[in-house]
Amino acid sequence: MEGADIPCLPRGVRLHHDKVRDAWVLLAPERAVRLDPIGHAILSRVDGTASFDQITADLAATYNAPQEQIAGDAAGFLNALRERLFLEVA
Amino acid sequence: MAWTKPQIREIEC
Repeated sequence: MEGADIPCLPRGVRLHHDKVRDAWVLLAPERAVRLDPIGHAILSRVDGTASFDQITADLAATYNAPQEQIAGDAAGFLNALRERLFLEVA
Repeated sequence: MAWTKPQIREIEC
């Protein structure tokens, strides 16, 4: 995941709040993953227009943490989703 | 809330 990359959710993949577990899940056809609050914070900023740099800068401001640290963690997280086709990059 | 490494847990079967 590079700074100028624009991540987006593929058709049929969406964020959903599971009231039973009181947790956010990412739903895809016949598949699902459960997210922790940080994972949800990252994906809630994935709107198909924001670049990876913009997303990590916003997270750095929100969490008052170094953008380099956030970029490293977020890149690993988004790449793991991309490998499993829960995410695309424009 | 402090920043922590994000986690993904796959739900299967």
